[in-house]
Amino acid sequence: MKIEMFHLMPYRELPEDFNEKYHSVWVDIPSHLFNAERAHSMYNDTLDELEYAAAMGYDGVCVNEHHQNAYGFMPSPNIMAAALARRTEDVALIVLGNSIALYNPPIRVAEEFAMLDCISGGRLVAGFPVGSSSDTNFGYGVNPATLRDRYYEAEDLIMQAWKNKDVFSFDGKYTQLRYVNIWPRPIQDPHPPIWIPGGGSIETWGWCIEKGYLYAYLSYSGFKRGKMVMDGFWNKAAELGAEPNPYQAGFLQLVAVGETESEVQDKYAEHGEYFYNKMLHVYPGFSDAPGYRTIDTVKAGLLGQTTQFGQRPAALTFKDLREQGNIVAGTPSQVTEQLEQVIKDLRIGHLMVLNQFGSIPHSTAMENIRLTAQKVLPNLRHLWPEWEDKWWPQALRNPQKPGPIHAPHSTPAK
Amino acid sequence: MQETKVQVRGGKFATDVLEAGSGSPLLYLHGWAGLQWDPFLEALSQHHHVIAPRHPGYGESSGDEHLVDYQDLLIYFLDLLDELGLNGIPVVAHSLGAMFAADIAALQPDRFSSITLIAPFGMWDPEHPVIDFFVSSPKDLARSIYADLDSDLARAASEAPKDDETRVAVALERAKSLRTAAKYLWPIPNRGLNKRIHRVSAPTLLIWGKQDGVCPPAYASDFEQGLSRATVLLIDNAGHYPQLEKQAAVVAAIENHLA
Repeated sequence: MKIEMFHLMPYRELPEDFNEKYHSVWVDIPSHLFNAERAHSMYNDTLDELEYAAAMGYDGVCVNEHHQNAYGFMPSPNIMAAALARRTEDVALIVLGNSIALYNPPIRVAEEFAMLDCISGGRLVAGFPVGSSSDTNFGYGVNPATLRDRYYEAEDLIMQAWKNKDVFSFDGKYTQLRYVNIWPRPIQDPHPPIWIPGGGSIETWGWCIEKGYLYAYLSYSGFKRGKMVMDGFWNKAAELGAEPNPYQAGFLQLVAVGETESEVQDKYAEHGEYFYNKMLHVYPGFSDAPGYRTIDTVKAGLLGQTTQFGQRPAALTFKDLREQGNIVAGTPSQVTEQLEQVIKDLRIGHLMVLNQFGSIPHSTAMENIRLTAQKVLPNLRHLWPEWEDKWWPQALRNPQKPGPIHAPHSTPAK
Repeated sequence: MQETKVQVRGGKFATDVLEAGSGSPLLYLHGWAGLQWDPFLEALSQHHHVIAPRHPGYGESSGDEHLVDYQDLLIYFLDLLDELGLNGIPVVAHSLGAMFAADIAALQPDRFSSITLIAPFGMWDPEHPVIDFFVSSPKDLARSIYADLDSDLARAASEAPKDDETRVAVALERAKSLRTAAKYLWPIPNRGLNKRIHRVSAPTLLIWGKQDGVCPPAYASDFEQGLSRATVLLIDNAGHYPQLEKQAAVVAAIENHLA
């Protein structure tokens, strides 16, 4: 079993009256609410947290891409991964990922991922999300009618670029290149493991299985909703005759660990509520541009849907969030027990843990990481011994470490 | 009114065409919300043979997957009009359809003998932005579309259907229409018409509702400046559908323009 720490990079200091005063936390959030000096701290806190998780024994650290978004202000996860590559060792750098339909040409992603793989000594996991509608259609203006088609074409181009050792031409609908030539190439030959972060669309399940990619279900809805989605994935795998290797599946879960029940309440309740009630204050019109979902998916949604357009979910308490499975919170033994159940129920070989969510202060996040690493992780590692993880980076055995920094006068003589 | 399927480019597209009336042919190109045989088309068909194709991606008109970009769509229209044998005829068009009509006329100035554009899209002015109707709820949208919110028209548009089956059907049709409109209007409704509009040579009547909250009447002057032979008619107490809210005035103006 592999356990990774995931970081969204949330803006921890939205105003008290954000929901009443502002339209949405995503897409049109006013930029005057952004304090760059505070962000200096938050970015560095985030890197410290991920580096600490790596040092404490998490198997990987995960970063992802969002645009114009206060709950995740990491528009370029590659920049974070580059910083992490220098101050971590052994740990997998999981970039989940680059929204490849946004980059023209998408070769940019093949190049940057190759750079990260070279710098880190082959520790990269390459994630290719379609991207949310808010990010891709609204933030980056990509036409919703052609987004998915662009995505498939970009994936084809990047994979050809990594696999093909010769210069070749590419005549796509959206990208034309006379000379495709990746320089640098990734260390992992022909390419890093591919993980596909998904939001539960049926097309993605079958596509992942056919391509042999890992499917990572990233949502904040918790394991109860996650069970439905992962059952769908495994049913699709069975239908297509793929072996049910749990390592082909990953799942994101918010986790809060405290020594006692009262500590859990005191330390996390406010921040869990901040995340769900404030950070997810997203204008519904921005979550689904016309054409973002296929008509079949829209139809399936309409038939099961009970809420009307524009209705936002009612405010949730920390108690609700724990009961619904959005947040797994408790003492180390409670959390271990619950996570083991989640891992088995969802049949996942990769659990991505969100230890910092909402407005959790840096010191509390570090404490959450420490408790999770010391008292939860060791008791979950034994799971799935009979399966091989074919979706894990193959790093160099003896990678070069960052060298000491010498002032010019003290440069050692050769 | 009769509805037929027209095969375009050897069946690559199968286009629904609604038509009625006798007399000289008149082409109608519908707007972003889709095509219905409404009282306005009925009124036009009293004196003309109205021919109204439904654009690919709307309703059951198929072949949308062959249209990757706006140029593909314009070439489709030339094929469709050839297939229908329509040349040198008047066109009346609304919103999205009016943008198409202006572009077709820029490509082939002789295709239309006269042009009527009602609240056309196709220009962008940050001082008077076309509203982002892709993110508006039907209820909010009704406020931008209609001048008179108490009219039966406005009420019907903002009411949710009562039974589930109709609700799903209406929502699906709306999703399809918006998806198709977005293909040509995303992220802002400017496909470069202002670089081509000077090619349009047929006399053009521009009609705008003064209370159009979707595509503001401020754009009338942009169109007027770009066109060589334009007349502007602003209609008070009308929104984005002046042809429905002030039908008599709009029909009279069109008949006068065609005479």
